[in-house]
Amino acid sequence: MENILQISLVLFLLILGYFFGSYREKRHFRNLQLREKQVLNMPIANIGRNLPADITETKLVVGIVVISIDYFKKISAMLRNLVGGRITVYESLLDRSRREAILRMQEEAMEWGASQVLNVRLETVAIGGRFGGKTDPGSIEVIAYGTGIK
Amino acid sequence: MSIKYVPKELPIDDNVNVTRRHPLKNFIYLLGTVVIISIIIFVLLGYTASWLATRIGADNEIRVGKLLYNTISETEVIDDRRIYYLDELLHDMLDVDEIARLPLTIHLLDTEIVNAAIMPGGHVLINTGLLQKVKSENELAFILSHELGHFQHQDPLKSLGRSLVVVSALAAVGIGTSSSSGGLSDIVSWTGELTILHYSRNQETKADEYGLARVINHYGHGGHSLDFFNGFQKFEDGERQLSQVSQYFASHPENQERIDYLNTLAVQKGWNMEGELTSLPDWIHCPDMDEEQCEAEN
Repeated sequence: MENILQISLVLFLLILGYFFGSYREKRHFRNLQLREKQVLNMPIANIGRNLPADITETKLVVGIVVISIDYFKKISAMLRNLVGGRITVYESLLDRSRREAILRMQEEAMEWGASQVLNVRLETVAIGGRFGGKTDPGSIEVIAYGTGIK
Repeated sequence: MSIKYVPKELPIDDNVNVTRRHPLKNFIYLLGTVVIISIIIFVLLGYTASWLATRIGADNEIRVGKLLYNTISETEVIDDRRIYYLDELLHDMLDVDEIARLPLTIHLLDTEIVNAAIMPGGHVLINTGLLQKVKSENELAFILSHELGHFQHQDPLKSLGRSLVVVSALAAVGIGTSSSSGGLSDIVSWTGELTILHYSRNQETKADEYGLARVINHYGHGGHSLDFFNGFQKFEDGERQLSQVSQYFASHPENQERIDYLNTLAVQKGWNMEGELTSLPDWIHCPDMDEEQCEAEN
């Protein structure tokens, strides 16, 4: 009896995680596509030397995003842990985080009126749960920062 | 120096950082692999463990039995005539030239839960709840010889060996014991439990066969010996409050299936399944102490 309850709870969380998770993921990817078009003319580079001579102003621009994993991704990753190989369900998560963070940084730079962002750096950190916390689903944080110049 | 910047859009379907694999397909593949591998490991380890466990020797079995018995928390009824009665009945069930593998000890436990069990080292546990439910000596004899069958087949040792190995294996992978792995431990341990359950059903059937053979041997017929399960079947259909009971019977083959199987077996072996009912002593429900009170109640 207790087992049936446990199994249905896990199934429920898996289904919930799968449907909500993939819906949100698809929506996010579409959204990223749209917004990336808008910042297409904002050059970014991760070099910081040989700056153009005509810089009048610089500013640190930062983009941060935290995205939670869902139960479906978590269980998939745990199963993958047992057999080894690429955790593909986390790849899309990391890709979304990276693009979102860079986008936010570019959007901040655009608002300020930068002509480009140089010396761009990316940092990532896992918040909470890390791998396999029972109550905490875990999440990924990506920070993109660079120097905006005018 | 200046570098020319050419804006370039990312192609929609060709993202090198995301493997294009359907998450559901991926999940099913993983789940299948893990479940199949777990089954193989559990079955192999299980068989090895039961094989090893039956080879620990009588002295060790007695020692293990003592340790295990000490973990039981229910209060034991001591020095009661019902114990002597059960003891006599149990020993009567043995075939003429059959010897119990180890000396058998009856323990009468004071609890409402309808249950009987056997532990390594020859400890036979009977709950007072069971005595409340049985209607004839034939029923009780079948239950006792069923447990005796488990003991003679070394089933308690085998399952002990198996559970020890499974628990150690789970602990070795770092799951099952801690709360740190969430659903993962569940998936692996459910697979394990199901594997064990299937195995013990086989053992149950063997114990049933043994039990009925001994009952026939003792009474000359199998009449009324299966009534307990018939009655239980009715309870199961009707009353939900008996969920406590179904817990014990969960690992037993479905009761109707079980009765049908035994009846077919009886026909095959030419056993007589009709016969006189041997009644239980009047005081089977009553502790020695409150005899008057008990008789008043009945």
